[in-house]
Amino acid sequence: MAKKKNKQVLRPWCWYCEREFEDEKVLMQHQKAKHFKCNLCPRRLNTAGGLAVHIQQVHKLEPENLPRIENALPGRDGYEVEIFGMEGIPAPDVADYKRRKEIELGLNPGSITQPQSKRPKIENRPLSEDELKAQLEAHKALMGASEASAMPTVPDAASGAVYAAPSQTYAAPPTPAVPTPVMSPPGVPPGMPPGAPPFMPGVPPPGFPSQPPFPLPGMPLPPGMQPPPGFPGMPPPPPFAGSPPPGLLPPFPPGVRPLFPPPFLPSGMPGMPPAGFSPPPGLLPPGVNVHPIPGASSISPPPGVPGAPPLGVPAFVPAVAPPSQTPPTYDQQQQQEHQQPPASTVPPTPLVLPNPSLAQVNPTFKKATVLKWSEANFSPEETRSRIPKYFFPVSADGPVPNVPTEEMRGKKRARAEDFL
Amino acid sequence: MSFFGTSTSTNTLASNTAVEKDIEVADPPTDSISSVAFSPTADYLAVGSWDNNVRIYEVGANGQTQGKAMYPHQGPVLSVCWNKDGSKILSGGADNAGRLFDVTTGQSSQVAQHDAPIRVVRWIESPQGGVLATGSWDKTIKYWDLRTPNPVSTVQLPERCYTMDVVYPLMVVGTAERHIQVFNLQNPTTAFKTLSSPLKWQTRVVSCFPSGNGFAVGSIEGRVAIQYVEEKDASNNFSFKCHRRDQTPSAKDQSLVYAVNDISFHPVHGTFSTCGSDGTINFWDKDARTRLKSFEPAPGPVACTTFNRSGTIFAYAVSYDWSKGHSGMTPGHPNKLMLHACKDDEVKRKPQKR
Repeated sequence: MAKKKNKQVLRPWCWYCEREFEDEKVLMQHQKAKHFKCNLCPRRLNTAGGLAVHIQQVHKLEPENLPRIENALPGRDGYEVEIFGMEGIPAPDVADYKRRKEIELGLNPGSITQPQSKRPKIENRPLSEDELKAQLEAHKALMGASEASAMPTVPDAASGAVYAAPSQTYAAPPTPAVPTPVMSPPGVPPGMPPGAPPFMPGVPPPGFPSQPPFPLPGMPLPPGMQPPPGFPGMPPPPPFAGSPPPGLLPPFPPGVRPLFPPPFLPSGMPGMPPAGFSPPPGLLPPGVNVHPIPGASSISPPPGVPGAPPLGVPAFVPAVAPPSQTPPTYDQQQQQEHQQPPASTVPPTPLVLPNPSLAQVNPTFKKATVLKWSEANFSPEETRSRIPKYFFPVSADGPVPNVPTEEMRGKKRARAEDFL
Repeated sequence: MSFFGTSTSTNTLASNTAVEKDIEVADPPTDSISSVAFSPTADYLAVGSWDNNVRIYEVGANGQTQGKAMYPHQGPVLSVCWNKDGSKILSGGADNAGRLFDVTTGQSSQVAQHDAPIRVVRWIESPQGGVLATGSWDKTIKYWDLRTPNPVSTVQLPERCYTMDVVYPLMVVGTAERHIQVFNLQNPTTAFKTLSSPLKWQTRVVSCFPSGNGFAVGSIEGRVAIQYVEEKDASNNFSFKCHRRDQTPSAKDQSLVYAVNDISFHPVHGTFSTCGSDGTINFWDKDARTRLKSFEPAPGPVACTTFNRSGTIFAYAVSYDWSKGHSGMTPGHPNKLMLHACKDDEVKRKPQKR
């Protein structure tokens, strides 16, 4: 008995009189004998409800004159609560009892974790991986010297015995000891967060071996990371620095993809596309052809404003959005997308986000998850319809050329999540 | 109910039909299947494909199929549906056109036009007559009466139309950016209700309850939400996870999350199917909130599903859904159209306990 008291697990207790018992069987015997005994005959029932029915049916008592339950604490002598052993105790009473028990045993609040003491064995179960990790972390923090934890994150520390002693210094700041699966890609400038490599030369994303990698959309530019030279000014892409052939959707020879995918035309972007960057003239009604971009906050309005738009009006022309709607992170994301190196595969026309300021970003997952379709802004069908094999050149959409293939961007997001 | 003859129409044989394999439709489309629809009057199956064609199959009493007709679009077909009396097939495609195929004459003609690919077509049978609704990536829904080249009316959507379903008088439209618009077709030009999807990821499919008092939403993140239209039923709204797999067989983490590609409601029992990029199909009962059946995983993603008019045949397409992008388009990728004979206990609601 005394030995068991130290256990931080509640033993079965009777709701009616708050007595503790060795196990639930004894508790039930107790309840049967003390609380569920009919005082008109020797019969003992299993539950309060059973007792009530018994008294009503056998002894023909009206429900309102049922005797209160015997030997019960005040307020707990009613038939409303159906108690069977530990089953059926109202949750507030359980919590209350637990709290009082904790105080009585001098335990910290909340240390009695078991909602019910039916499974005291649970203390003996093998620790789960997470718990082991947590305990290891706690232990390391206690010890102050975490060579082991520093090693995975700082690979240098692991090389050679010379570093064994200095590795103490790594441990001084609380390094996140979770060994990230992220390898710092070669060529990443030092000081960059490992999770956000804007360029990953030589590290193509898995599954896309033939295509050069893109930066991760959705990842903000790491601080201190400058866009490549020439980016903010947004030079027109060499292939069509003036205007593209009228009426034609400019096909791109592989590898000549311009430096940025301007169809996003994010309103409020610091670097705006030059004036010559509007949709091909042949696709637009006269008057909206080449719109000078007055400022960073406006872009070519969708055609169709003056007069009736002819068939073939770009469907994905970006809508004008107030600059205030553009979150700064999105700008950064855009900038990053604009840095994308030329791709080798070029879809006939790109998918263009109608309103870049409303671009969707997948929420983060609470646990490690691989989202199979991780492109938040385009459906698989939209992406597929831009493959040369499926593309139907109605010239109705995509007046502005070139956005990276969407599945590439999709993969990128997935990876971004991996990194996070 | 006489479909598939004696083998499944009686419950007594249901036990030994477990070994019965689903029937593969002969001469399937040559490229991925985008949409399937059964005629509301006969066991005719219209199939839209990325190979630009719509094919019509006749399904016989024992599940044998025969190609009946085929007509082309200029671009990939993204959606097909039938009119009320089963005499016409409507389809929309990436060529921005909506086409009508007259089953009786075998002629096809263009009946709808958008500025961008038509993602979904649905027939609306209203008391005033039939109307074709087309939802497009040009952010509009247009209603067509098939007699004039111009739409009866046009509804501007907040975003590109990704999915749409109609059970008169309810029409639900799911768009990019997770908008969902609910229309009361007695007033088809303005949204009765606009909401943001209850799911936090891209909307893949919406499907109306046969009772017309709510709809199911499927997202790319392996999740389905059950949503009632009326505010008073809102307490019955819920969502659940599905179409997930473990990273490794040993890990029980369910961390591989696949898109829900299609949701089809059983016309009689009101239960529904979900299918996903993981190649699995499940039957669910939304009221008991239980799964009624799960299929053996197919060798490829299941792109679309449908029940026939009586709910005895369940057709599904094992077909590439672009879930892995271009690189997933391998030459040997399965592209099959399968027919499953529904047994009663797979699709029937379980009686509520107690």
